[in-house]
Amino acid sequence: MSFLNPFLLFGAGAVVIPIVIHLLNKRKFQPVTWAAMRFIKASLQQNQRRMQIEDLLLLLLRCLLLLLLALALARPAMRSSSNKVLGQSKVTAVLLLDNSASMGMSDGVQTRFDKARKAAEQAIDSLPAGSAAAVFLASDVAQAVISEPTHDLNLARKVVREAQLSDRSSDIYPGIERALETLRNRLAIRKEIYLFTDGQANGWRQMADVQKILKKAGQTGSAEEVQAHVVLISDREERNLGVSALSVVTGLTPANRPLRFEVQVTNHGKHEARDIRVALSVDGEPPSDEVNIPSLPPASTRGVSVFARFRTEGFHTVTARIAEDRLRGDDQRVLAVRAIREVRALLVDGNPAGEPRETETFFLRHALQPVAAADVENYFIKSTIIPAAEFFEARLDDYDVVLLANVPEFPEATVVAVENYLRRGGGLIIFPGSKINAGFYNTVLFKQHQILPASLGEPRGDAGQEDKFFGLQTKNYDHPIAALWNDPGVGTLGSVRFYRAFDLIPAVEPATTNAPPSTAKAARAGKGKMPEVNEAKEVGAARIVLRFADGAPAIVERPWGLGRVVLFSSSASTAWNDLPVRPAFLPLMHRTLGSVLNRQDENLNVRVGQGFARRMGGEFLGREAVVVAPSTAKQPVRESRKIELVGGAPLLQFEGTDRGGAYDVSVKDPATTLRFAAQPDPAESSLEEMTEEDVKSLGTVAHVLRWSPNLSLREAFEKDRLGAEFWLPLLLLVLACAAGEMYVAQRFSRSK
Amino acid sequence: MDKAHLDLLLDPVAISRAETLGLHARMLVEGYMAGEHKSPYHGFAIEFAQHREYAPGDDLRHLDWKVLGRTDRYYIKQYEQETNYVAHILLDGSESMKYGSGKYTKLDYAKMIAACLSYMILHQRDAIALDIFDTVTRDYLPRSNSHSMIHKVLTTLAAFNPTAQTNIAVVLHDMAMQIRRRGIVIIISDLFDDEQKVLEGIQHLRFGGNEVVVFHVLDKDELEFPFTGLIEFHGLEGIPKILTRPQEIKKSYLRELEAFRTTLREGCERNQCHYVPVNTSQPLHEILSGYLAFRLKTTTR
Repeated sequence: MSFLNPFLLFGAGAVVIPIVIHLLNKRKFQPVTWAAMRFIKASLQQNQRRMQIEDLLLLLLRCLLLLLLALALARPAMRSSSNKVLGQSKVTAVLLLDNSASMGMSDGVQTRFDKARKAAEQAIDSLPAGSAAAVFLASDVAQAVISEPTHDLNLARKVVREAQLSDRSSDIYPGIERALETLRNRLAIRKEIYLFTDGQANGWRQMADVQKILKKAGQTGSAEEVQAHVVLISDREERNLGVSALSVVTGLTPANRPLRFEVQVTNHGKHEARDIRVALSVDGEPPSDEVNIPSLPPASTRGVSVFARFRTEGFHTVTARIAEDRLRGDDQRVLAVRAIREVRALLVDGNPAGEPRETETFFLRHALQPVAAADVENYFIKSTIIPAAEFFEARLDDYDVVLLANVPEFPEATVVAVENYLRRGGGLIIFPGSKINAGFYNTVLFKQHQILPASLGEPRGDAGQEDKFFGLQTKNYDHPIAALWNDPGVGTLGSVRFYRAFDLIPAVEPATTNAPPSTAKAARAGKGKMPEVNEAKEVGAARIVLRFADGAPAIVERPWGLGRVVLFSSSASTAWNDLPVRPAFLPLMHRTLGSVLNRQDENLNVRVGQGFARRMGGEFLGREAVVVAPSTAKQPVRESRKIELVGGAPLLQFEGTDRGGAYDVSVKDPATTLRFAAQPDPAESSLEEMTEEDVKSLGTVAHVLRWSPNLSLREAFEKDRLGAEFWLPLLLLVLACAAGEMYVAQRFSRSK
Repeated sequence: MDKAHLDLLLDPVAISRAETLGLHARMLVEGYMAGEHKSPYHGFAIEFAQHREYAPGDDLRHLDWKVLGRTDRYYIKQYEQETNYVAHILLDGSESMKYGSGKYTKLDYAKMIAACLSYMILHQRDAIALDIFDTVTRDYLPRSNSHSMIHKVLTTLAAFNPTAQTNIAVVLHDMAMQIRRRGIVIIISDLFDDEQKVLEGIQHLRFGGNEVVVFHVLDKDELEFPFTGLIEFHGLEGIPKILTRPQEIKKSYLRELEAFRTTLREGCERNQCHYVPVNTSQPLHEILSGYLAFRLKTTTR
């Protein structure tokens, strides 16, 4: 027996009230002088005992009434497993419906999510009258559909029926945590959590934590005393193929040129898959390219190259698709790409004199324009070479990227111009060399203006000694620019020889300690994590692109404003290294260029559930942007977002990326459209399920049921829900007492 | 004694009504004067009653010589004598008589009865004696038929103030011993005493040959017990206080009271006394004229 409002038990002290009234009343009488005392005495002798008993009875009734009232208000409740007389107690339940992508797995007739919805409806049906239920959709976050338990179970049924599957990945923990939090402050004798999920191992990564909080919450006598029911809806599917990755291999994405995309297909099943057709289509048009994977063994991934071409510059989506199987969510993957018309590069040569080969920019120009001299005019990268001395009079805004090769130094006004140029989205690539003024670089560019991502240390090595060299790292490339070489098939950077290079000392990022404080909260609230553009500062964190074999940084970059700065540690010519004559130089430069130019477009592709954010021009401030989200329904989902000032610049934010696919964003005035894409977590395609041990250990803290079509959840749930609250019978008793008191008082006070 | 006080005691309405009815001694009462009352003593007075055969020893003065002359038989003449009777008024002056819910206390009412009766009796030239008692006789006016007697009676009645408890029976016994000439004994009291003892006293008086009339004076509240709420009753005769809710014992109270009155009435009837219940809320003249009319009816032969 426990009380839901134990404090009101103090109300039981009110029993003294009738006693006090009784005692007070004894003093309040009317004196009468009387002669015929003998008759009163005689009658009293006859009635004394009866009157005393009546008085006592009345007093007892009144005390009992107050006592019962206090008891009823304290809401006594008893859990019982055997007392069937009391029937079922009311339940405050939280329904957690797993709507992660893996729930989309179909058995040919219905998906796991359909089954989960049915099971959830059954669970609602099984709730005793007067129960309340909250409904959450649990994926990697818990989205509240009904955030506080409602007594309107029809509403709960309705939202369960209308619940939508998402492409998010699954993680059970936040859902359970949220459910417990919701139940924590509820007054109810029985609190229950119903979780409808597939037993995908991926979702139970935090099994130990889940068990811990459930165990804590489930303990008798704990504040919550929550009973958890887990309904596992799995169908032991053995086949699933998924597109696990889609990326642009080419560093730059010019329009009207064939672009190479890498599509990775993973066989998550237990059987070998044959003849997998991978199709690539642009902007939802018919496939432009198709590749066949003849065979894919179980639990393996194969990457294929497919080509596509964008007809126009601007935003495009590329969709890689394989034949649909039972889990449709992962059978296609969409990539958003901004195609560019041309790249105008300004090459500033610090050593323009002499033989063309001797100049600093000779190899750079050829790397940027790797075509025959006749085709240079038509090539999408245009380059202009000026000597360092003329750098101060160059109009930087005419160029998309500026490459400084061995430029000794430049005036303060130019530094400011470069800063403004970066702020507006320009790219800056810097190669040191023998002529540079390291002091200028370190003091002005690094310290004062924080343009450089690293300061220049002492140069090491000797350019004259060609037998003493050092190489680059050969594996574990984690920066996107260098990630290409993770695939040994495309060549290696390891063979490059450096004879002399500056020690790069990357800038220590003071803001990294200042991580966004509300990340966890935002995630719980269903919002995705916002990328770095959210942050107010202009100067981004320095990242190492490439290291030397000994671990020292070889290339360092940092976002700056809307642009990016890349600093090499060695020269752009062959004076200090042989990189320019290596085959890797061209892709390296193109990818670097791509990284610098696509600084803004990095965030075009987000993980499902992650927020999309994009800096917009000043003219967009305060405008409404309409986001059309991909949807399985015929009617596209439209949502509108206001472009707001965040961190000093207008920012478009969209956090509702629950589904994978292309999102169209349009602003009416000034008319602009852009696209971004959300890609589901490939881990969701996994067929790996919870192990039997996991299920068993989960069974120690929760009631685990495996769903089957003829499983009666009602029976299973009702079995241990016996017990009751007693306030109603107590209140009836109070009423009975009140009625009895009235009757008895009336009857007793009649003349006898 | 001021006029007002006398008026208070002498209810003019009661007296005027009662006068016409008169207070006849219901039975034969011995008396000096041949009045309106027949004497129980047969002998030598005015009105012939009957003849009786002479028996040796009879006074020859009463021999009816005419009958002897005519019939040669010896008869003695016997006469009835109309006597003046003595009314002994016994007024209960105990503390319990002090109770009164209305205009009068029981004592006031009893005094009024006593005064009116005294006036009427004296008016018809009979004698009265007044005895105000509680446990013992407190005030006593010896019998007299003088007209000044009424003033004495009224003064005595007005001056009396009760102080002590009742003990009627003892007083009745004393009275029975004291009365040498038979007459009417009028008891005016609430009779809050042991009813058996009271009845014994009445019986004693009756055995003395007296006619006994009992005016049982009770207050309206005593008869109806109309109280509600929580009430503490303060006893008038040194009885400890009682705190109770009267409405809850009303029925049994009334039952007790009724039993008490029934015992008294039946006892009186057994002893051939008049029992007159008096409710102090009723006008005095109603009670007196009612009783006297009844009395006239039962005594007229």
